[in-house]
Amino acid sequence: MNTASWVLIASEAWRGALAAVQPLGGAVTAVVVGPRGLADDVATAGAGEVLWLELADGIPAEAYAGTLAVVVAAAAPTVLVANSDPTGRVLLGAASAQLHARLVPGVVGLAWDGGKVLIRRAAVGGETIETLATDGPVAAIYSGDEVSLPASAPAPVSRLDVVAAAMRLVASEPVAVATGLDDAERVVSFGRGVRAKDDVAVVRGLAEALDAELACSMPIADDLGWLEKSRYVGRSGNHIKPALYLAVGIAGAPQHMEGVRGAKVVAAINSDPEARIFQTADYGIVGDLYEVIPALIAEVHK
Amino acid sequence: MKAVVVYKWARNAEDAMVRTDGSIDWRNARMAAGEDDPAALAAAKQIAADTGGAVIGLTIGDGDASWALARGVEQAFSVADAPSLADNGATAAILAAAVRYIGDVDVVVIGDSKQEPGVPVALAGELGWPALVGLHSASMPAGQLQAVRRVGGEQQTLNLATPAVLGISAESDTDQVPGMKELLAARKRPLTKLTLSDLGTAPVDLVSISCRKPDSTPSRVFDGEPAQAAAQLVAALRAEGVL
Repeated sequence: MNTASWVLIASEAWRGALAAVQPLGGAVTAVVVGPRGLADDVATAGAGEVLWLELADGIPAEAYAGTLAVVVAAAAPTVLVANSDPTGRVLLGAASAQLHARLVPGVVGLAWDGGKVLIRRAAVGGETIETLATDGPVAAIYSGDEVSLPASAPAPVSRLDVVAAAMRLVASEPVAVATGLDDAERVVSFGRGVRAKDDVAVVRGLAEALDAELACSMPIADDLGWLEKSRYVGRSGNHIKPALYLAVGIAGAPQHMEGVRGAKVVAAINSDPEARIFQTADYGIVGDLYEVIPALIAEVHK
Repeated sequence: MKAVVVYKWARNAEDAMVRTDGSIDWRNARMAAGEDDPAALAAAKQIAADTGGAVIGLTIGDGDASWALARGVEQAFSVADAPSLADNGATAAILAAAVRYIGDVDVVVIGDSKQEPGVPVALAGELGWPALVGLHSASMPAGQLQAVRRVGGEQQTLNLATPAVLGISAESDTDQVPGMKELLAARKRPLTKLTLSDLGTAPVDLVSISCRKPDSTPSRVFDGEPAQAAAQLVAALRAEGVL
């Protein structure tokens, strides 16, 4: 079996995936679907060769998945890696099937062991790291951390010319985003633990005391309308990266937590000690938010 | 238009138990409706409604197959002996074989699961069909398959040709629990049980070598009197330099 790896790149997050194949020691080919600048960045970050596919106006990268898969399969690499973003996954899924590879999500590390590839992956929502082995080709969805890579001598970049499937971007409109949430240092956010609309003032008081922006979980904005829709955080709402995210009365559903993955410190106040948010938060207070918030405000003002 | 909705195709990770040595106990976990399944079903129904077509359910494994039948799907197929696999490609190959068995399918709609994010895309790869995933809705106005997604502060609408695979990502928990009338109606709807041998597939999974707990610091939870807990939290956040 050869030791070649291919990395499929269709978004700005790619350094972790590229770094993940480097310990394998084989030749590394990167396929970049997107702007030339992105291909040049990848070429100076350790890839041995870069194949660059320029996107035509109005054609999404996914339209090239089928023809790109044929190119990948012809090279028959043993390891194929892409990020977990939707576009990267579509490219990987097509190539993986064409290559008859194993497809493993949640991958955080790759290694050789004799003739086998060892795959370390996060399982059961990240509660455990499982090591899997295979002797055939493997396609990995990389879910580890982003890293910084040392600059390398530029690898050759050659242009790929492949045919697109019938797929077209027909409309694109900006989704309203609350001013301030995007680049806020601190965000105080609340969920259904707040009992009445009038009580939003209580949470707002805490946000003011902490010099934080106010946000909420989706049901608060969508079902109850207690805060503008532009202020909810979660999978389909705002994705934010404050230094501090303080969640008040939020259970911590995965859809919500996806929106704060970039936060440095997550703290939570919840009356339920079993609340899911305590599994991911860095700090927490178990208690009644109506008692804890005044105590926090008093403490901050001391 | 013949739309297949794939549902209950993964085990619920919340029912799995991770032992202190990191190993996983899956004994209490069955194939369950995923958090994205209701959104996938809604999209499949919309496509069928827009074209006067039908939605056909497809499920694998040991879960109760009536989930879709009780939610307005007229007929379903179940590959009951399909095991749960670490290899998303092998799971996708079973689903692809079942889609081919159903025959003449124009679009496959599947929840874009966070736990098994490789299955929808590998399913498209196995079928050799174009795919879009991470979508929040889909429809088929004027005979044109259309999908909507949000990317980096933008809402994008995309048109694509059939056949295609669409991965739908739920925005919220939107499942509508059926009433007694729907549950009774579901029992009368046709459910075709298939086996792996009917489909001519014999999946072989990856070999699990070991498991270990990740190196992470569990959250520090303060649960004393409010004033005391507040003081501890503020001190901790100041020490972190975020306050």
